Amino acid sequence: MPTPVTAPPISLEPGSSLRHRLEELEERSRARALAVALHDLETGRQFRYRSERWFHAASTIKLAVLLGTYASVHRGKYVPQSRLHVRNRFRSAYDGSSFRILSERDADSEVQSAIGKTMRLSELARNMIIRSSNLATNLLLDLLGIEFLQRVLEENNLAGIDLRRGVEDELAFEHGINNRITADGLVQLLRLIAEERALTPELSRTMLEILHDQEFRSGIPAGLPADARVAHKTGEISTIAHDAGIVYLPNRKPYIIAILSEWEPEITGRSPTIAAASYMVYEHLVGVKDVDE
Amino acid sequence: MTERENGGDGKYGALGKPSIPLRIVDGRRLEKKFRDALRPGGVLSDSQGQAHALPRYFYEVPSWDVAVNLQLSEHFALWEFIHTDVHEVEALRTFPRYVPCAITLMALGLEQFRDAVGSFVHIAANGGYRSPGHALSVHATPHAWGTAVNIYKVGDTMLDEQEALEHYAEIAYRSMPGVYVRPFGKVRGYTDDHLHLDFGYVVAVPRGAPFEMYNPKVDVEPL
Repeated sequence: MPTPVTAPPISLEPGSSLRHRLEELEERSRARALAVALHDLETGRQFRYRSERWFHAASTIKLAVLLGTYASVHRGKYVPQSRLHVRNRFRSAYDGSSFRILSERDADSEVQSAIGKTMRLSELARNMIIRSSNLATNLLLDLLGIEFLQRVLEENNLAGIDLRRGVEDELAFEHGINNRITADGLVQLLRLIAEERALTPELSRTMLEILHDQEFRSGIPAGLPADARVAHKTGEISTIAHDAGIVYLPNRKPYIIAILSEWEPEITGRSPTIAAASYMVYEHLVGVKDVDE
Repeated sequence: MTERENGGDGKYGALGKPSIPLRIVDGRRLEKKFRDALRPGGVLSDSQGQAHALPRYFYEVPSWDVAVNLQLSEHFALWEFIHTDVHEVEALRTFPRYVPCAITLMALGLEQFRDAVGSFVHIAANGGYRSPGHALSVHATPHAWGTAVNIYKVGDTMLDEQEALEHYAEIAYRSMPGVYVRPFGKVRGYTDDHLHLDFGYVVAVPRGAPFEMYNPKVDVEPL
């Protein structure tokens, strides 16, 4: 069996079931909650661990915005080359008051530096995913509209994704208006892309290519062998750390995995915990063990 | 004084001829899709309900290359005034494009503003001419006359703080006679992330504009 890129820092008994090991990981990591959903396209097997529990979506909601962006292309509203004015002023979902994305809270500087200029929709979508640009996300969300994006989710039967607002909307956050996801919901969305059923095969491949270029790789990929390729999206806020992706291993069809976690703000070790969960799933699927459900 | 011929660089016209080497068109003689978008000579009301007559005469911009290479003034090229995004009506997202002839007035004003600030002045996307059908043209905005600009950045300074905005507003008042500067604030009619400058609802009819006797039939069927 290939060696993981980064060995999981939490050593667990290898002989026990995946469910048992995840329970142990959840306890030892001191996460407030851990959820895992898996769908293996090679065997058709599925695994669910608290996969229907709702979590704050953090940046994983950008997967829904990605799907909506290309749905607008599919419907002929826009083309990927359509240009959008980059402006940093948005309306809160709570009361319509204006707010901005603070540059120091945005992992991406490319879109920030384009304020006042235009960027292509394809460029914004890419920056939204690979460097998790908050500014790009809100620009796309503003353009497409919440209702349109919700309709796209509904039409694709993605009940485990609840999109209600843009990102960094502090006022909405304080009043409990949040984007929410379940591990099942993210796996369903990614499965559409992996099986080229998201909109069209060509648009599915376009979204997949973007996800493959993800630059934040300390979650799912860190628990996998070096020859694994992962198309994924992470999400992290003070109490949340998620990663959801499509894992490609040599000589087999990919599997789709979502690992969601909730934390007390002062607790560390989030990425290693996700990497450890990723490794456990990998080991059970490809290695010595069968998935137990 | 010697006559300077237009050497193809788009900077100068021959003396005695219009200095902008673009065809001037009567908007009411354009194809329907352009008339619908530009509403030439039509009326647009401002937020107080006051009606203003829209421009009727436009420069025809045949291509993006022409827009990029045509300097309206020493430091401002035509493209900066017509750089819009998906919010512009579809007919005006491709070429030929049409821009009100009063655009030259703003280029002149901006040149004076640039001299006064001593640095680069960047006109924002959607920040120059916007047609009456542009999604941001809710009421009669001077943007639909080509006499307004939005500036997000002067030199390396982003204009998204009150202090910076008021500093450059003061310079604009001093250097651009007759200019209106939108005040700082977060509600409609104010601005908090860019400097808005305009000369109001100015309509320009340059020499060389196509002339015809008034014909009431044109009101009914322009073509």
